[in-house]
Amino acid sequence: MTHPNQSDLALYAGQDLGWFARWRTERHLARCQECRIQVRGFQSVSEELAGLNDLPAIAWNRLAAEMRANIRLGLAAGECVRDEPAPGLPAWMSGARAVAACASVMALVAAGLFLQRPTPTAPAMASEKAVLRATASGIELDQGGQTLSLLHARAADVTYSAGAQGSIGAGYVDSDTGNVTINSVYVQ
Amino acid sequence: MSSKLAILLAGVAALFAQDMPLDNAVKINLPPDSPLTLISESLGESHVSRRGSAVVLDLDVSLTLHNSSANRVRGVTLLVAAQEVTPGGKASVSVPSLDVSPNQNFPVRINLRLLRPAQMGGGPLVQVNLDGVLFQDFSFYGPNRLDSRRSMTAWEMEAQRDRKYFKSILAARGIDGLKQAMLESLNRQAERPRLDVQVARGPAVASAAVGDHNVKFAFLRFPDSPVEPIEGWAEIAGNEARNPRIDVRNLTSRQVRYVEIDWLVSDRQGNQFMAGSVPASGPAFNLKAGSTSRVLQDTTLRISKDGGAPFAIAGMTGFVGQVEFADGKVWIPNREALASAQLLGVLAPSPEEQRLMDLYRKKGPKALADELSKF
Repeated sequence: MTHPNQSDLALYAGQDLGWFARWRTERHLARCQECRIQVRGFQSVSEELAGLNDLPAIAWNRLAAEMRANIRLGLAAGECVRDEPAPGLPAWMSGARAVAACASVMALVAAGLFLQRPTPTAPAMASEKAVLRATASGIELDQGGQTLSLLHARAADVTYSAGAQGSIGAGYVDSDTGNVTINSVYVQ
Repeated sequence: MSSKLAILLAGVAALFAQDMPLDNAVKINLPPDSPLTLISESLGESHVSRRGSAVVLDLDVSLTLHNSSANRVRGVTLLVAAQEVTPGGKASVSVPSLDVSPNQNFPVRINLRLLRPAQMGGGPLVQVNLDGVLFQDFSFYGPNRLDSRRSMTAWEMEAQRDRKYFKSILAARGIDGLKQAMLESLNRQAERPRLDVQVARGPAVASAAVGDHNVKFAFLRFPDSPVEPIEGWAEIAGNEARNPRIDVRNLTSRQVRYVEIDWLVSDRQGNQFMAGSVPASGPAFNLKAGSTSRVLQDTTLRISKDGGAPFAIAGMTGFVGQVEFADGKVWIPNREALASAQLLGVLAPSPEEQRLMDLYRKKGPKALADELSKF
């Protein structure tokens, strides 16, 4: 009996196989327990990854692409170091070898996960340096891409003052109220 | 799959942004014993719009406050905080040069823009708290978290100083003289050289563009100043000025709790520009009678002009712009000293001078004379 190669089994487990190859693999799996075991191994890894969806801030697309690449790389490496071709020999697909292959793939995936795991990081805003600036319409505090601006839309003539303790002020006469208004924004 | 999810989330965020009620976006907090009460609050033309994956909230807040005290209000400062958007920052809106009698209402406007991610927690985005109220007799109410008592006292002293100046001109030279003085003020402000300054706190990131070097301050000294600058310097790298440090001496027999050094920079042609001020206060700043202390700030000022062109700093000048004593009394330079040091054309006008210029521009010299006669 000719077995599908492991990359096809892995792609089948991830439902990424084309329709014809999928049909052919399903026919084979229906009568080959060894390959079913391997597919279940790939599927369990896939389910573990799906369970990690709850974790925030992971670039899942990139991670999935890297994992697929790692799986293919592992399989290719296995092909390179194999002593003799494996035209569907029963010895090649013996239970011990299949388990070893699954284990190595899972180790590879685990290593990939370890390297890509979410690490607790300080909020981006805290690590970004806050910058105060005067713009045409007001004073803007930019902190990690989020901004707070005090505007002086109704002002004809605005005077600015910067304080080295971390402030910028804008003084103007509000055209609606007639009152002098001084907007100040502070950065700590 | 994930791109579909992102599109879905963006759609939901867009709906959220459009439908988000703004009624609860701002919360005004006045203490129960406040001398001001909130009569009305309106969000006017406030609106929400999208910018990419972020939401922009333009808040146009109109408040009507009522002076429920028995004293005339001269100034108000409101503390504006949006902790979810900028945890490290805060803002204030001050209205100096007021003259609100007891039981009178007056308006305060707050125009605020927040740029933030589409999805954030609930609750009011902006909290507005009363920081202080200054009365005619220089008494003060409020938590004073922003040191608004000193700021508003200084603005009120500048207002009295500048009104006195224009009243003296009116008395000596009549309406024509007042008109001439106003035109001079307007011309000075129109011709005043201006710089764009960005401020960043904390240790500066090393700049590889231009080598850092220390530049010493030259100092202007006013005869009646209670504090004397001794020496000072700042690190200059191209158009950045960092970490100003200035040694000052208290010339009086009274303890000083706040000193502000005004900071001018000059270009290679010798033109002077107002860059900012270097204040010093707090427990680390101890300026007892006759003692010496250091004014220092870990700050970077990035200076540009003409819409962003870097400004090469060739020289720096400093002078004492404000002093607050331990008893709360404030000293500011008098107008004659500023004029004789040729600083009137470099410094921004006081808030009161701005108000008087605006009044003159809109209503003419007669209305200005009438306004001056009220004080």
